[in-house]
Amino acid sequence: MAQSASTESEPEIARLLADCARKDRQAFQRLYERTAPQLLACLIRILRNRALAEDALQDVFVQVWGRAGQFEDGRGSAWAWLIAIARYRAIDLRRRETRRATEPWTDVDDIPGDEEPQDSGLAFGQRATAALSRCLGALQPRQRDCIVLAYQGGLTHAEVASEIGEPLGSVKSWIRRGLLALKRCLES
Amino acid sequence: MKRDEPENLDLLAAEFVLGTLVGAARRSFARRRGRDPFVDRRVRAWEERFAVLTMRQKPVAPTPAVWTAIERRIGSGSRGAWRALAAAVALVAVLGFGWVVWQELRPPQATAEFASASGETLWHVELAARGDRLEVVTIGQVRVPDARARELWALPEGGAPVSLGLMPVSGEARLALDDRQRAALASAANIAVSDEPASGSPTGAPTGDVLYVAPLTRT
Repeated sequence: MAQSASTESEPEIARLLADCARKDRQAFQRLYERTAPQLLACLIRILRNRALAEDALQDVFVQVWGRAGQFEDGRGSAWAWLIAIARYRAIDLRRRETRRATEPWTDVDDIPGDEEPQDSGLAFGQRATAALSRCLGALQPRQRDCIVLAYQGGLTHAEVASEIGEPLGSVKSWIRRGLLALKRCLES
Repeated sequence: MKRDEPENLDLLAAEFVLGTLVGAARRSFARRRGRDPFVDRRVRAWEERFAVLTMRQKPVAPTPAVWTAIERRIGSGSRGAWRALAAAVALVAVLGFGWVVWQELRPPQATAEFASASGETLWHVELAARGDRLEVVTIGQVRVPDARARELWALPEGGAPVSLGLMPVSGEARLALDDRQRAALASAANIAVSDEPASGSPTGAPTGDVLYVAPLTRT
């Protein structure tokens, strides 16, 4: 079940979501089987705790079941829609945890790493992947590192700064300038 | 105003998606996204762009308990088993009983989602196929001050709100509907949640703030 999302998965995921909107429970289970491992990796990375991440995964799929009708095929990628729900949920929980305790994460060994850059055209076709990789590659290394760290870890500016041991002001400006450069590159 | 230039908005959208937009600024941007299609499009564009970074992460298989819990929360776990049994019995039962089971197996008539200002889903509400009850599942972190409660209302077209019962603070609740409540729901495009005393509105109309409104999506 932990296979990497395949190149052709996007149309299937979009179709399954449309079936979920019609309350097709079999499609929902299939959607879960196809996407839960990828979303769990993302949740663990942000929440840094397997048990919390699995609870969040439950919340995500209960939301997906309730909101599948809001996904409009053609207006965006189904994968991106699912990932957004998972990330916002994890970020919400993480910030709540951080407010409650300064050292919330326990089993850091669980944090999944990246796969080697064999992500050739994963979900959105070769073009989107290649464009983001190319444009990220064109950024200054520190800008790129801060953006990827913030995105994958769900980190705030201050957390990125403490993770890489650089001043908060520099991190803010690297991220802002990096995003501007990324935007220009992706839109060119 | 400089803050509202498209490029600035686009950067805010990027920082929202990234997660580096925090606190009140994050909540206010989430609200703005809900009412400004331009902002919504920018947010979606960044979600699409960055999704590739998530897809690069190595998948992790969840433990089987997660799916079991999800099934239970969307109301098909243990109840699913019961339905299967009921369906089997129906094969040998009278036609009338079969009809009841068929009703039970049908998807809900309508669903609604209540979300917080920051876009976090708080409750998922389903109107059962027979229209005789609402199933409410708490999804988000619901915080209710002491001695207060959250009350659910149907907002019928051109009529006064009709109380449907008190919302759960956690877990699930089943709210049985009488004829008046069913009629109100039938002509309602939206349902709402208000802030009320712990035992619910004493007047039969909302007395506190209306905190959340959600469209009823007929299925």
